[in-house]
Amino acid sequence: MDILELAVGKAHSLGADYADIRIQNNQTEFVFLRNLSLKNTSHNELYGYGIRVFKNGAWGFAHSNIFSEEAVLKTVQRAFYLAEQSGRLQYGKGLKLATERSYIDTYRTPCIIDPFSIPLAEKVELMIEVNKTLLNYQGIKQAMFLLECTKIDKQFASTLGTRLEINAVYTEPTFRATAVIPEDSQSRSFREGGVAAGWEYIQNLNLIEKAEKVAEEAIMKVKADSLGDERRRTLVLDPIHMSLTMHESVGHPTELDRVLGWEADFAGRSFATTDKLGNFQYGSAAVNFLADNTLEGGLATMGYDDDGVPSQKWYLIKKGILQEYGTTRDVAPLIGLEMSRGCSRATHYFDFPINRIPNLYLEPGKKELTPNDLIADCEDAIYIEGQGSFSIDQLRLNFQFGGDMFWEIKNGKKVRPLKKIIYKSNNPEFWNSVDAICDRRFFKTFGVTNCGKGQPGQRGRMTHGGSTARFRNIRVGGSQ
Amino acid sequence: MKKKMKQTGEIIKKICQADDFTLKIYRTKNHFTRFAQNAITQHIDGENVEIQLDVAFDNKTGSASVNQYDDENLTMLVEKTESIAKLNKADPEFVASEGKHNLRQPDDPPQPTVNLKAAEMVDDIRKCINNAQKKEAQVSGISERYITENYMLTRNGFEGYDQEAHFAHSMTMRKGNVETKVSSSINDHASFSMDNMIQQLNSQFDSLQEPQKIDKGKIPVIMRPQAVIEWVSYLIWMYQLREADEGINPYTNQIGKQFFGKNFTLRSSVNNPLIHAPLFNRHGIPTTNIDWIVKGIINNMQTDRYYAQKKGVKPCSVFNIDIEGGKTSEQEMMKQVDHGIILNNLWYIRPIDAKKGEWTGLTRDGVLYFEKGKVRNAVVNLRWNEILHDATKRIISLGESLPIRYNALVPTMLIDGFNFVDVTTF
Repeated sequence: MDILELAVGKAHSLGADYADIRIQNNQTEFVFLRNLSLKNTSHNELYGYGIRVFKNGAWGFAHSNIFSEEAVLKTVQRAFYLAEQSGRLQYGKGLKLATERSYIDTYRTPCIIDPFSIPLAEKVELMIEVNKTLLNYQGIKQAMFLLECTKIDKQFASTLGTRLEINAVYTEPTFRATAVIPEDSQSRSFREGGVAAGWEYIQNLNLIEKAEKVAEEAIMKVKADSLGDERRRTLVLDPIHMSLTMHESVGHPTELDRVLGWEADFAGRSFATTDKLGNFQYGSAAVNFLADNTLEGGLATMGYDDDGVPSQKWYLIKKGILQEYGTTRDVAPLIGLEMSRGCSRATHYFDFPINRIPNLYLEPGKKELTPNDLIADCEDAIYIEGQGSFSIDQLRLNFQFGGDMFWEIKNGKKVRPLKKIIYKSNNPEFWNSVDAICDRRFFKTFGVTNCGKGQPGQRGRMTHGGSTARFRNIRVGGSQ
Repeated sequence: MKKKMKQTGEIIKKICQADDFTLKIYRTKNHFTRFAQNAITQHIDGENVEIQLDVAFDNKTGSASVNQYDDENLTMLVEKTESIAKLNKADPEFVASEGKHNLRQPDDPPQPTVNLKAAEMVDDIRKCINNAQKKEAQVSGISERYITENYMLTRNGFEGYDQEAHFAHSMTMRKGNVETKVSSSINDHASFSMDNMIQQLNSQFDSLQEPQKIDKGKIPVIMRPQAVIEWVSYLIWMYQLREADEGINPYTNQIGKQFFGKNFTLRSSVNNPLIHAPLFNRHGIPTTNIDWIVKGIINNMQTDRYYAQKKGVKPCSVFNIDIEGGKTSEQEMMKQVDHGIILNNLWYIRPIDAKKGEWTGLTRDGVLYFEKGKVRNAVVNLRWNEILHDATKRIISLGESLPIRYNALVPTMLIDGFNFVDVTTF
């Protein structure tokens, strides 16, 4: 039985204006080590299909994990019925879907060593070695290591005639050391997010060396001073830190569904409204943000989105000016666009595809600049590495960020570690304060695997990146 | 479905060769009708099942889960789980599965919730949209119906089955810069009134005119239950005995001591008809009444089974939230301080300092400034950085506890000197 044909054919015969089916199998292997205790060693599989029906300008979506002919037909009928019910309260004169053609194609994550082929014992041994390295340092009370390997196999078919087969893989190692002294506890992490690659990514990381650095810096951090009251200083931000900042303050505000108010009840709206397209100075002239769902190793690089739209690369912000949004087939026409940028993604088979942030990065500077060059030109600055506390308002305007490691810079030199540093800023002040970005040699990425959005909530995945950048005149201080 | 779950348990018991096992089956039948900008934008329906097996050979453990019930998948599940455990390293903190417990009988899920139809949900949403249109506003939100069944079986004799159903609705109405939200989740849809909810939405919406600027600083706040539940949920996340003993969180050596304010009492309750209590937690521990914090004194902290065994205490986790309220009305609260602000909701709460217990977040869904007992005007949103357990020491008075979620009973709180560190531009 060809389930794809069966579902699409049934939807067509019922009178759907458009329909698609996504058969999806998400397999995840988790290994979680706390100190030297294996808290979770598991292999989890979620396998089923979701069927979307578009009728009279409205959506219906039903899902099932039963693969019989009867169940498939029933699921199509349910989706069709829900589309009819949605149509009772349709959007204006009804939603329209952006133009798209059909594709017959396959996509596979370039992966040399399938992470699922590596014996569990080998993974656990490596993790125990890392945790032992962390715990060997006096003062480290807690060592955590979470390894996640994920495989997503999708088959997609639509009434446009599209037939896709997508096999994606990603690997994400994260570990953390917590140092404790009587009056404080502080953590330092190795965390670069997920990478769409196989076990070869882990093999090239040299995790033991990284563990030594993490443990040493956790101990340094717990004994470090904080800053006093906030005042305006220069910030130098490493790419891993900046990935989170750009995710929150550029990625989310440029999702068109948010701009249009579709997420108003939970995730929020966006300050980057359509009247700002082409004229809003989002950042300084040095700031170019590229959306790129073709980025190698990117978590949103899957060949096609869940609307069946091919992966693309485009500027969201060019020379500091807001250019475009991330879009899906149902929202793009609402601002007069003919085509979608392919940002429609669902996490599991039972999730309805929603407008997601694409892979998004800050383009490296053209001039040859190293992080040390940036630091050398700072009289009074803070250098932040890694990610910490983060909080931003529902319009994605005003925010406060911490970090994972902090260094004070005085007269062009890193002079001492610090802890409990937070900075506050807003859009567009923050990105307009960028005066230098390191060149391509220092480009690094961070793969987000837990981007919460939607009702019901989904955890989306995408990759961000950039080279170390400098921000002038930002409010920085210590916490209470 | 209970029968099928039990049958699955029998199959696993028969084919699993491991020294110990815990089988968990979690089934959901959910319906979501999502709307935005006065129209339905998503409409989702379906069933899910998760069959999770944890096994152990001696103290070598493994887990796996599938979402297919057939024999082939169940056999694969057992084989996979056993193979993970056999290849794994020994866990020095392994604890054998729970044995037999006498559990309370599960209540039947409320039929009006179970039988709720998509068309009825659309009818209710139409009321929200009609209301918004009358106000020349836009409304966005979601109506949700959840039906859940939960089964657990262990090699050591635990067997438990539980079920629940609840309905939730939330909506945000906006016109220009005025935006506010109401939300509710309840067990029995028969006791849900969309008209009452619309009335509450309108009342909040009408009170919020063009927001004015306000200076940051330490300001008395009247926190409505929706705002209180937000920060309490985050506080509970870090409320762990082991982390306290390791010196990581603020609660080190604080059991039995006055660590929170005297006006702060937090419990989990199994016999409060206003909030749902599951029969057992995810480790098979039967739920019982637990006093977490009574009049500011820490009585219990969340403890997993391994650490509870090590410390000689009972394992426990927060399964619902029952915060003791008072009798003070919002009008009376406004008279208890010279001036202050009323918060409908909080947003994007994150930790700043784990050891100090300092958190950050923003206000959301409308902020009102009051002075000399009267609401004066709406104000812009603010950012706060606050040591939350310290804030409970500044609770001046409490309103009546209300079922703000199907599993949470929370009062309005008047808290003095809440630490606002920044103002937003809207």
